[in-house]
Amino acid sequence: MSTVKSNEIVLLQNIKKDYGQGNVVTEALRGVDLKLVKGDFTVMMGPSGSGKSTLLNIIGGLDRATSGKTIINGQDIGILSNKALSLMRLNNIGFVFQNYNLIPVLTAYENAEYVLMLQGINPLQRREKVMSLLQEIGLDGLENRFPRELSGGQQQRVAIARAVASDPQLVLADEITANVDSETAQSLLELMVSLNQNNKTTFLFSTHDPAVIKFAKRVIILKDGNISNEKLSSVEIEESTHK
Amino acid sequence: MKMVKISWRNLWRNATRTNITITAVALCVAILIIFQALIIGLIEKAVSNTTNLLVGEVQIHANGYLDDRSIYKSLGNIEKVRAFARENNIGIVERSYGFGLISSGKKSAGTQFWGINPEFELNYFDFANNIDEGEFLSETSLNKVVLGKKLARSLAAEIGTELVVFVQGADGSLGNDLFYVSGILKNIADDIDRGAAMILKDDFDILFSTNNIVHEIALNSKGKFEAEEIQKNISSKLKDASVMTWKQLMPFIDSMVDQMSAFMLTMFSLIFTVAASLGVMNTLLMSTYDRMKEFGVIRAIGATPWRIIRQVSMEAILLTTLASIIGVIIGLGISLYLQVYGIDFSGKGNLSFGGVVFDPIWKASVSFKIVLLPVVLMFVTSIVASLYPASIAARIKPVEAIHYKP
Repeated sequence: MSTVKSNEIVLLQNIKKDYGQGNVVTEALRGVDLKLVKGDFTVMMGPSGSGKSTLLNIIGGLDRATSGKTIINGQDIGILSNKALSLMRLNNIGFVFQNYNLIPVLTAYENAEYVLMLQGINPLQRREKVMSLLQEIGLDGLENRFPRELSGGQQQRVAIARAVASDPQLVLADEITANVDSETAQSLLELMVSLNQNNKTTFLFSTHDPAVIKFAKRVIILKDGNISNEKLSSVEIEESTHK
Repeated sequence: MKMVKISWRNLWRNATRTNITITAVALCVAILIIFQALIIGLIEKAVSNTTNLLVGEVQIHANGYLDDRSIYKSLGNIEKVRAFARENNIGIVERSYGFGLISSGKKSAGTQFWGINPEFELNYFDFANNIDEGEFLSETSLNKVVLGKKLARSLAAEIGTELVVFVQGADGSLGNDLFYVSGILKNIADDIDRGAAMILKDDFDILFSTNNIVHEIALNSKGKFEAEEIQKNISSKLKDASVMTWKQLMPFIDSMVDQMSAFMLTMFSLIFTVAASLGVMNTLLMSTYDRMKEFGVIRAIGATPWRIIRQVSMEAILLTTLASIIGVIIGLGISLYLQVYGIDFSGKGNLSFGGVVFDPIWKASVSFKIVLLPVVLMFVTSIVASLYPASIAARIKPVEAIHYKP
């Protein structure tokens, strides 16, 4: 049994996840061990059905593992109640989704502010934080626009602002370049690299997009529900994502 | 405040749906307000008919008189009651009753004669003003009579008609005299309409060979005192008489008031509030399923289930607030109109209930409580109705909701 070190943001031990019941059980994860430390910028790749999204959901506390330990920021989240899990997500994890998933009735500013509001931060501090963040990610002047009034790339930037607004220990990003053009994808990734470097925020990406790899400090390949390899060459990565 | 803002915007995501629900809830609130105003108007009319018309708030009779209306069961020692009424500025009338036969031409009818003081009756009770034809008695109306409407009709009597009266006097002699019709009352109460003949107290004493005899004292403070309060005071002064409130004298009216209130508070209110709250629940339920993915995202980024419940309930509160404002404006507006003009039933005959004839113009009575009850009921039921969709939204698993496709 390994002990949790202070800079370990994520520690997964023998994580298994089964779907289905009785004779029809699909093993989505088959004993994954993983460790992410503060400041990691990790890309998780693998073919469809390899378990990337499942693993991301378990790390994010959106889903529970069938067995194994999920330790986030020193806390075993497998034993937390739904409410405690909500608060753990609120205070430790930021999410960026493939389809942006912004709240349509909130403006760009309000979407980014929402998490701070849930945390009970006072309005003045919220305003200061969100305005500086929107400026940093290049949405200065668009703060009063609703999601429907923003382009895909702009919406994804708002989603990133929402994810990092509360200074979480870990940001989980699921296929965030899938719905934007390559130029926008490039600028989004550059934005996250700068957030990673400036704030030491830990990022874990799930992606099919090989373009993301060049930004990664670490690459994990998931295959058949387990981590098959790390630190592959670009060619091997390219091949692995298409198998 | 932020939650209010978000909930408000959520309400208008589907404006058509929200408008339909608001209209339905507003109509329910308005109908409840109007219904209550009409029922309370009816109840108030019934109570005031009972007390102000002729019964008064309290009546005093000799013990056993109401069971056996014998001319000999009269009240004695009533000076204390007169003094009490005088000191407290309470209206007081003294009435004498006797039975006899009254004839007009070939028609005759059994009649209850009322010996009254017209000045006091006119001052303290309304029935004396309810004259359909002719005029009520005055101090100088010797050998004049005022008849109940149906009695006048059965005798084919008109104003000025000569009536022959036969009675048995208190001394056993046969009393008879001629009276002339001075006035005919409007419909008041069945027993008065069918059999009352009102004459001056002096005429009564002559006709029945009595000496200032009193069978009934009616006291009417016109709402200044509670009937029970007057009863308690008089009872302590008169030990050998029966002192009864209008509720005891006319238990049907009292129970009608209670039952109508109970009916209004339960059945009618229940039907409308349940209907409205089902509308609210339906709207929120549809809205919840429409926004399942969004709730999943909100839960994912850290909102607790309780936060989601509050958010959905806030939408119900806002919807009900808006609907209540509209409903109150419509309901109060119509109720105020009905308070002034009422609903006219005069073309459909008399409005009679339990022997009490109501004014054929049914008027509403507007007060704060007719607004309070529907609005509070609507709020409580709407919040309760919102809990089901709210709990669905709160219990969703983020990972499933994020990938939810409606």
